[in-house]
Amino acid sequence: MILLDIFTFFGRFHPLIVHLPIGFILLAIIFASLSHYKRYVFLSRAVPFTLLIGFVSAVTASMLGYMLSLTGDYDGLTLKNHMLGAISLTLLTGILLGIETSVFKKLISIPRRMFSVLSIAAFLLVVYTGHQGANLTHGKDYISMETLFRRPREKPLKAEDAMIFEDVVHPILEDRCMQCHQRSKRKGQLSMESLASILKGGKHGPAVVPGSLAESELFRRITLDAGHEDFMPAEGKTPLTKSQTEIIRWWIEKAMAVEQKKISEITGHQHAVPLVAFLLGLDSHSIGDVQGFAEHEINANIPSGIDMDLVENLRMKGMTVRVMFHKPVMLDVTLPSRSGIKIQDLTNELKPLAMNIVWLNLSDNGLTERDLAILKDMANLQKLRLEKNPISDGISDYLAGLKYLEAVNLNETKITNSCLDSLQQNHAIKRIYVWRTEAARSLLQRQENQSL
Amino acid sequence: MSHHHDPEFRSESPGLNEFNKKLDRRNFLVKTSLGLGALAAGSLLHGKTCSRQTISESETSPDPEEDILKAIPHLIPKAKRVVYLFMSGGPSQFETFDYKPELMRFAGKDLPNSVRNGQRLTGMSASQSILPMAPSFAKFNKHGQSQTWVSELLPHTAQVVDELCIVKSLYTEAINHDPAITFFQTGNQLPGRPSIGSWISYGLGSDNANLPTFIVLVSKNAPKDQPLYARLWGNGFLPSRHQGVQFRSGKDPVLFLNDPEGYDGPSRKEMLEYLSKLNRLQNDAYHDPEIENRIAQYEMAFRMQTSVPGAVDVSDEPEEVFDLYGPGSRDPGSYAANCILARRLLEKDVKFVQLYHQGWDQHGGLPRGISRQCKDTDQATAALITDLKRRGLLEDTLVIWGGEFGRTVYSQGKLTSDDYGRDHHPRCFTMWMAGAGIKSGFSFGETDDFGYNIIKHPVHVHDFQATLMYLMGIDHERLVYRLQGRRFRLTDVHGKVIREILA
Repeated sequence: MILLDIFTFFGRFHPLIVHLPIGFILLAIIFASLSHYKRYVFLSRAVPFTLLIGFVSAVTASMLGYMLSLTGDYDGLTLKNHMLGAISLTLLTGILLGIETSVFKKLISIPRRMFSVLSIAAFLLVVYTGHQGANLTHGKDYISMETLFRRPREKPLKAEDAMIFEDVVHPILEDRCMQCHQRSKRKGQLSMESLASILKGGKHGPAVVPGSLAESELFRRITLDAGHEDFMPAEGKTPLTKSQTEIIRWWIEKAMAVEQKKISEITGHQHAVPLVAFLLGLDSHSIGDVQGFAEHEINANIPSGIDMDLVENLRMKGMTVRVMFHKPVMLDVTLPSRSGIKIQDLTNELKPLAMNIVWLNLSDNGLTERDLAILKDMANLQKLRLEKNPISDGISDYLAGLKYLEAVNLNETKITNSCLDSLQQNHAIKRIYVWRTEAARSLLQRQENQSL
Repeated sequence: MSHHHDPEFRSESPGLNEFNKKLDRRNFLVKTSLGLGALAAGSLLHGKTCSRQTISESETSPDPEEDILKAIPHLIPKAKRVVYLFMSGGPSQFETFDYKPELMRFAGKDLPNSVRNGQRLTGMSASQSILPMAPSFAKFNKHGQSQTWVSELLPHTAQVVDELCIVKSLYTEAINHDPAITFFQTGNQLPGRPSIGSWISYGLGSDNANLPTFIVLVSKNAPKDQPLYARLWGNGFLPSRHQGVQFRSGKDPVLFLNDPEGYDGPSRKEMLEYLSKLNRLQNDAYHDPEIENRIAQYEMAFRMQTSVPGAVDVSDEPEEVFDLYGPGSRDPGSYAANCILARRLLEKDVKFVQLYHQGWDQHGGLPRGISRQCKDTDQATAALITDLKRRGLLEDTLVIWGGEFGRTVYSQGKLTSDDYGRDHHPRCFTMWMAGAGIKSGFSFGETDDFGYNIIKHPVHVHDFQATLMYLMGIDHERLVYRLQGRRFRLTDVHGKVIREILA
């Protein structure tokens, strides 16, 4: 293994050294060609020496190239062509050198034309071998007609219009993975050129399995501890950022690893929009250094910025206010139980924040529904606690229009069945707590009757 | 000491003069030579006493600690409070939740080396000539809509199994109690780091200024074979206001709440005000932030005089509640009574309530021992779930049940037809969570047929901690505290949120 490591070390000088024979051989050919003209006849004397250093450097470059090839990171066929080209070129340079040296010249005279033909062959070999070498390092499409005519993808203006694979995921992979995982390099036999090749995978099976994070080798490796042997990108290259891994997670898990699909066509895309906007640099109301994923659909109706003095005012009035989220500002507001504070006295403070309150707890404060008109303004409310208040059935009117209300706690209030019936009209409500109410008792009765 | 040499500036600000006087050369040398440590602490801890409630006042604070706290919550929190039922000693997974029917075939046989795979054993069983495998004496049945296997020793928990998310693939690196429990509670096997509750207090502050943010209850009706120590709920290097406050296990959870005869509230308040003045003088002279913490603690104690009696007095609980929590619940300080107390504290928005129940360390006589442990805790645990659920508190309360490690598949000591013991086993064990943000009626992770190794979805202690923080709205990688030139965090440099168990 040590031997191989030494080979690798020297092998890596190949890309440096390889430019010497290219330069010298071309220079020799140029000198030889120019020497046909009278003005430059004197150059012919420089040809043998230039060919000599061209030959020596070609031999060195070939040996280093062979060492580099032992690392096994390169595509077989291109490598073979490159090697064959290089060896032929070296030999040809040797022959040219031989023809040009004075010792040889004295023995046999070779027609000048012959030398020219061989020179042209050498020139073509330089081009061919060089091109194969470039293909090895940069990929086959590095120089191609496609590159010339390909139009860069137009940058989408809205996150919703972006293509999930083409605009979002693939550019990340291109940037972070394709240096090693591409058609002609294929480390671990994996190429990330296209979705098909990603799904096909490499040595360790498919890189991505639509819908299954656990089976997606790619995802496993980019989310390992950076110190782990299998971690990717390998060899200390910069790991993917959290937002990048998050969008890949979403693409695999929720978007079933599709391509040619707009974000807006994928179900549940609302979750991904802020992240996509961030990755594409499109977010106007920035989520800044996005660290996690918007697990919840963030309700866009919640005002994003508020005056924190308003929150302070509410606290001064005796309410407990917890900031649940910063962008947009989501508030969890609690009126301490048996506070003796009248809701009406808080209206001025609550009104400007009403759209930001997502959790509200007014339990055990002697309230009736008549005190709660303010609830109608809290359009973004998700969780509401009203337990232990003398509230009766009229409360359902106040809650009917709350589109985001998920859970209502009406334990130990005076509500009856009819309140439950009307609350069920609001389909947003998923959980209603009615412990120790008339409604609970009649529900129980209803169940018993049914079982009889 | 001042960099300002403008005489006008000096003469016109008496505060600055005062400061200069205090820090003249002589005083400076005296102080630094006497208390280099205090000075160091001063510079490190300075200014972190600002509570979450007042963040808006200091928008442009230059203090980096402020920035760390200001970014919280990093995520939309699912849970507002936590109750952590710590089963200290290491409850056996075999007799509770991790059903291993295949083991019957291997009863009494030596544990194959291919399974143990060179795993270290404790000194207690390493010298055994045979490691005879012991199947569970307790029978298992499927329960609930989720059809989850639960042992017959936990009949009440089985009734609420559809609320639970059972994780069968926890693992830890520690093999003995002290490091294992310290690891679970503080994120490090060595003592000295802040506990989970104090991290949460530091990160999120309080939702009820009249009660401590972090309260600890220890069952009195449990064998005390393995000790608990206050550092498990300690503040480590965080300001001392964040440490857990332990309530006593008895009739008076907090002593001296009542004023002595001839001494009333106003006099006490006056006394505290004077005391506070003295403390502030001291603070002005020494700038030790722990003095501010002390002032805060005195003020908290004063508020607790009025808030605690109402919180701990269970006389207003109806009979039905005591029946629900079981026979022990009328005996203050018992696990069941602590469960009721925990619920009452959660109702008052105490953010982190930690219960400890010791005695799960069954090296020998396991069948009898674990039966007793289950009997003492099962009904009250299930009742706590039921009670929180019907009150709507499971909406935003996270309940956690678990110990510090698991137990071995083989018997420590002799395996007889009706008796065996189990040694410590860090490679796999079971915990459950329930409530806010967690999937219900769900099992996660799998162990092999021997219950020895994890074969699916391993969950490390740090992963559990990361998930707990996540549910509280904290990105565990960003809740840090700078100390000794390093950014410390609860999960050290590890931990991944277990997304698969999130609702």
